[in-house]
Amino acid sequence: MPVDPIYLDHAATTPVREEVFEAMKPFYGPRFGNPSSTHRWGREARAALDEARERVGRCLGARPDEICFTSGGTEADNLAILGAWRALKAKGRTAVVTTPIEHKAILGAVHQTTQEGAEERLLAMTRDGVIDPVSFEKLVDEQVAVCSMMWVNNEIGSIQPIPELAAKAKSRGAMVHTDAVQAFGKVPIDAQTQEFDFLTISGHKFGAPKGIGALFIRRGTHIEPLMHGGTQDRGRRPGTENVAAAVGLARAAELTIAECEAHCAHLRKLRERLEAGILAKIPDALIHGRGAERAPHIVNVSVPGTDSESLLMALDLRGIAASGGSACQSGSISPSHVLTAIGVRPDLASAAIRMSLGVLTTDHSVDRVIEVFPALVAKARQLAAAE
Amino acid sequence: MSGGVDSSVAAGMLVEQGYDVVGATMKLFCHGEDVPDRPCCSLDSVNDARRVCEQLGIPHYVLNLETRFGHDVVDNFVDEYARGRTPIPCVRCNTFTKFRDFLKKADAIDARWIATGHYARVVEGDLHRGIDENKDQTYFLWGIDRAVLSRMILPVGSLDKAQTRARAHAMGLEVIAEKPESQEICFVPDGDYARILEQRLPADAPALSSGPIITSSGVVVGEHNGFARYTIGQRRGVPGGFAQPMYVIAIRPELCAVVIGTRDELLGSGIVAREVNWLTDTPKVGDQVRVRIRHRAPLARAEIVRLSGQEIELALDEPVSAITPGQSAVFYDGDRVLGGGFIEASRSLRSALPVLAA
Repeated sequence: MPVDPIYLDHAATTPVREEVFEAMKPFYGPRFGNPSSTHRWGREARAALDEARERVGRCLGARPDEICFTSGGTEADNLAILGAWRALKAKGRTAVVTTPIEHKAILGAVHQTTQEGAEERLLAMTRDGVIDPVSFEKLVDEQVAVCSMMWVNNEIGSIQPIPELAAKAKSRGAMVHTDAVQAFGKVPIDAQTQEFDFLTISGHKFGAPKGIGALFIRRGTHIEPLMHGGTQDRGRRPGTENVAAAVGLARAAELTIAECEAHCAHLRKLRERLEAGILAKIPDALIHGRGAERAPHIVNVSVPGTDSESLLMALDLRGIAASGGSACQSGSISPSHVLTAIGVRPDLASAAIRMSLGVLTTDHSVDRVIEVFPALVAKARQLAAAE
Repeated sequence: MSGGVDSSVAAGMLVEQGYDVVGATMKLFCHGEDVPDRPCCSLDSVNDARRVCEQLGIPHYVLNLETRFGHDVVDNFVDEYARGRTPIPCVRCNTFTKFRDFLKKADAIDARWIATGHYARVVEGDLHRGIDENKDQTYFLWGIDRAVLSRMILPVGSLDKAQTRARAHAMGLEVIAEKPESQEICFVPDGDYARILEQRLPADAPALSSGPIITSSGVVVGEHNGFARYTIGQRRGVPGGFAQPMYVIAIRPELCAVVIGTRDELLGSGIVAREVNWLTDTPKVGDQVRVRIRHRAPLARAEIVRLSGQEIELALDEPVSAITPGQSAVFYDGDRVLGGGFIEASRSLRSALPVLAA
């Protein structure tokens, strides 16, 4: 293994922060109670859970009762889309709208609604990965039950104008969900002034552990629960709550919001350095979504004449962790559906390398990548040319 | 690494020998249609390979070679059956997929060597049969580029199967140590190759449509339900009521006919092969070789009687049964593989005229 491994996959997951780990520890120790119990131990756990709910709420501009803890992004996305669809189809709304660049959790849940009678409508995207306003006007009409649009794309980082789109969709009577898994801590989120009904966050993307996330559910919104059982979380999400992880999520969310501005400015600088470095050495490298407003932590680059599978393997063996398209269950990489949806040529889509920056990224690591990546690219192109 | 015992032990032996080993599994096909989020093709094998690599402490990657494998191997498999021949996809997989496309992935990571779990050996730059005569896989390896030999390491070629399993146990690879042998073609589930043809050929394809079963003198004696369902030497599906047992002796796609005949009619005294590839310097007309015409068939003595470009003709010392177009003819000098080719036709015993299959 190389001396100095470089982790450039923060959009996949992040390390648990020390402060978060510390905050969680008591709940794996003396404060182990079940928050539903009425005795001292239960009360202690309940207090921690209630507090965590308030704290996560504050980070989103939400009230505590609007926060529903889930096992992560996928569950929150499913709860929002299926829960809202099942509640609303009874009211005669027939369509579900989303974008073709969503995470599989959304695409899978929307696909499920079509099994339950929904008409699926996919918004058209610009080549930079932003929703085409004309398509939005056309597809988001009075038939729409749920409209789900991801705030920051996980592969190319493009930002959708969610506050504006949410207001429009609301005015047509649709429920609005946004997958903010990559957006939290990167764009200003405020449930008080923005009109989305549901919003998903996932803890492990910002320093909390895997297995905890939250769905914001605007007060007064009725959803059908996915699971059936006890009355935890108002019956929206039965099952004994993961108290320690909820506390961890709250701590991580607060730290993220507190550091948001400085951290984003730092990431933006690093990203500019990385992109400039790559483009200087590989002038025909194509950085996806560059024309759009982008979150500061994602660089997705395709170099003509290379393939991501070989490049990722070569990078990994030199200690640099990046990612490609969507990894399938076997671990093999297929061209990304996101890049395909924004009209990237198949050969370029299967050359895409996503580098995502975060807490572990330094000037030094960026410089190493600027050195190693173009060298690997040159070699890959040399091999391709020799064919 | 297929997740089987041979490639797993091969990787383990290299780790023991101090090589810097990277494990890789080729993803070659998907069962079923493109359904998003469906469990992937042969997922269990990939999981086993990954688990073995985890235990060996080496990285593991899954490499997607589906498109090219589909083109070079699967499409060809279907085309061959449609032409009345009996293809041997493992040869083409080794030639085009494993030791060409996969090798390019090795180049991309500066890997000097490529190792597999084949029962074969590289001795002083030549390809030799594996120590385990029952397991020898050189029959499938004749088509690789000769230059690749200098980069090949075949660790289990010097073991027999029992030793390989013992090594797996010794390495603690209990997950795979007793996995059963796979005799099947990897992309043909349950060995039902006709189903693959039905999926990929048009419904009215001649290869899958009924036609006459005829004798070598042209007498119609029955009907078959698609000549692609027959192979040379086959008895199943052949009408009875003859004085002697009858076998498929030829397939004539131009007539949509399956030709049957006696055991004697199945014998051939010569072989014509094409797409010949040499792993040694090219031999000369008149050279004596041993030839194998089917996996595990005994080696037969033969003389090279004609060599022109990529085509070769051999005269067999003794007649051989069921020389099958589409299968390989592999040439040996002792344990050493000289080369091979795809069988085009056999020279029949009775007439000097070739019984052409296509």
